[in-house]
Amino acid sequence: MRRLLILDYALSSLWRRRYKNFSIIAVFTLTVAVLGSILLLTHSLKMEASEILAGAPDLVVQRMSAGRHDLIPVRYIEEIEKIPGVGAVKSRCWGYYYDALTGSNFTLLGLDETATHEIHLLEGSMPKAEGQCAVGPGVARIRNVKVGDELILIDSTNTGVVFEVVGTFTEESSILTNDLVVFPKDDLVWFFGLPEGRATDITVEVFNESEVSTVAGKIKRMYPDTRPITRREIVQTYDAVFNWRSGMMLTVFLSALIAFSILAWDKATGISAEERREVGILKAIGWDTSDVLELKFWEGTVISLTSFLLGLIFAFVHVFFFGAPLLTPVLKGWSVIFPDFHFTPYIDLYQIAVIGFLTVVPYVASTVIPSWKTAVTDPEEVMRS
Amino acid sequence: MKEPAEALIWTEDVTKVYNPRLPDEVRAVDRVSVTIDRGDVAVLKGPSGSGKTSLLSLIGCMSRPTSGRIFVDGRDVAKLSESLLTAIRRETFGFIFQQYNLVPDASVLENVLLPLYPVGLRPSEMKQRANRILEGLGIENRRRLKVRKLSGGEQQRVAIARALVNEPDIIVADEPTAHLDRQRSADLLRVLEDLNMQGKTIIIATHDAQVYDHVFVTRTIEMGDGRVEAERLS
Repeated sequence: MRRLLILDYALSSLWRRRYKNFSIIAVFTLTVAVLGSILLLTHSLKMEASEILAGAPDLVVQRMSAGRHDLIPVRYIEEIEKIPGVGAVKSRCWGYYYDALTGSNFTLLGLDETATHEIHLLEGSMPKAEGQCAVGPGVARIRNVKVGDELILIDSTNTGVVFEVVGTFTEESSILTNDLVVFPKDDLVWFFGLPEGRATDITVEVFNESEVSTVAGKIKRMYPDTRPITRREIVQTYDAVFNWRSGMMLTVFLSALIAFSILAWDKATGISAEERREVGILKAIGWDTSDVLELKFWEGTVISLTSFLLGLIFAFVHVFFFGAPLLTPVLKGWSVIFPDFHFTPYIDLYQIAVIGFLTVVPYVASTVIPSWKTAVTDPEEVMRS
Repeated sequence: MKEPAEALIWTEDVTKVYNPRLPDEVRAVDRVSVTIDRGDVAVLKGPSGSGKTSLLSLIGCMSRPTSGRIFVDGRDVAKLSESLLTAIRRETFGFIFQQYNLVPDASVLENVLLPLYPVGLRPSEMKQRANRILEGLGIENRRRLKVRKLSGGEQQRVAIARALVNEPDIIVADEPTAHLDRQRSADLLRVLEDLNMQGKTIIIATHDAQVYDHVFVTRTIEMGDGRVEAERLS
């Protein structure tokens, strides 16, 4: 009963100083919301990327010439197919396209009919006939095209080519399809002016996952001018990129966090004359030091937990309902057509606990400790000062 | 001088020094020995700076003496732990401070309930007790108002109500009439007289003649420069 009564008094005490407390909650909530948004977004991006890449080929073989990526001879496929444990081996034609009209970069991909199963998320249909294409949601948005419209691109001879948009990838296809334009393979070869018998890279299916690196080694020995890239390496690259970017964000944000900590510490250590007097009164009329500390503990806990939960809710809504518009330019990529994400909510409880530990605990401590210093002083001295 | 077993409050050579060994050292109470019996209305009388408030704080267990002994109801409170000292303040004393020392943004009822929070009574019982006292002091219709909206006299009554809510044996009042006009002071003295009639021991620090010349005063302790200059029984 005593504990509930002190909690009741703590709540009424907070309400009495509501304007000051609301401003603290606002700053605190903002801090948690930004920190939470960065961590939720990074985690979600990494999870999404690794899920999407789970459907990527086991091996991608590129050809290197003088250290740069070059077109690979399609005839390599015949020898690679002979390696034991290797399944389907296919050539891919793709390339980056700078769209001067919008100042953005598209990824152009040529698919043959047998490869259509690799992209599942499609509205309309995949391009099958000459002069057709399917576009990602970012391309559709920035070029303002939909199914049935025309998409004009400049080919290798600097001539405008008209394609009919027959499909658009849905928003859920997210990271990998946002800036994508898909054509029939022959169209792309012609568009880019690729030489006969050459492709951008070759994809290799390996039946046994544990043999992927062995197969990669064999391909490398077979064709020393190639660079086999495993799916795991791609996932690791994504992870590294997102970790680096979130690290950058967190570093920038760290200064804000430190500023908040100083504010919280200043607020708490600089216990106001009014609060100091109140502690003196409570002690004088028979409150124990432990009662005063419990009161301050509840005050600190209510403020910090409210802010923490509000901050997390704002972060969740910001990231998973609005697609993190304040952070995605930094975290999601260099292209000007950022994917219009609707992230799947992946939440790492460990990260939530870390945010809680970094914000709630210091705040409660910085509320209780200075009050303890006042509470152990003789009430007469506190009220006299 | 009576022995601790007979007197309700008994001090022996009590000294209180503020800022000891510093340039601004103040010897507020200097080897004071006084006795207060159960049922007394004792007045600590003297000019400002004579040490009466400091002695009142020592007697009320709100501060510890630099040296000497203080007995309250037979216990040497100078040697008690912090929590026992707090328990004595809570159970034995009711304080009426010069500046009232109320929580200005809290309601009258909340202020009166404050000493009961650590006791652990049921809320209904707490409110019942507080309302009864507010009614007795004629301010029950003010209980929902914030203290800062009350007049000085009303605030004084809230302070008295808060001092009484724990049903203490001893009421300690520091300059209770300092901010009241003559009529309000007379009202307050009537309340204190009633409390004394109910068996409460009252200790008042004051330099107001209206208080120390009042007929209900049973013991007058005159102070000057931290020392007892005279002690008189009426």
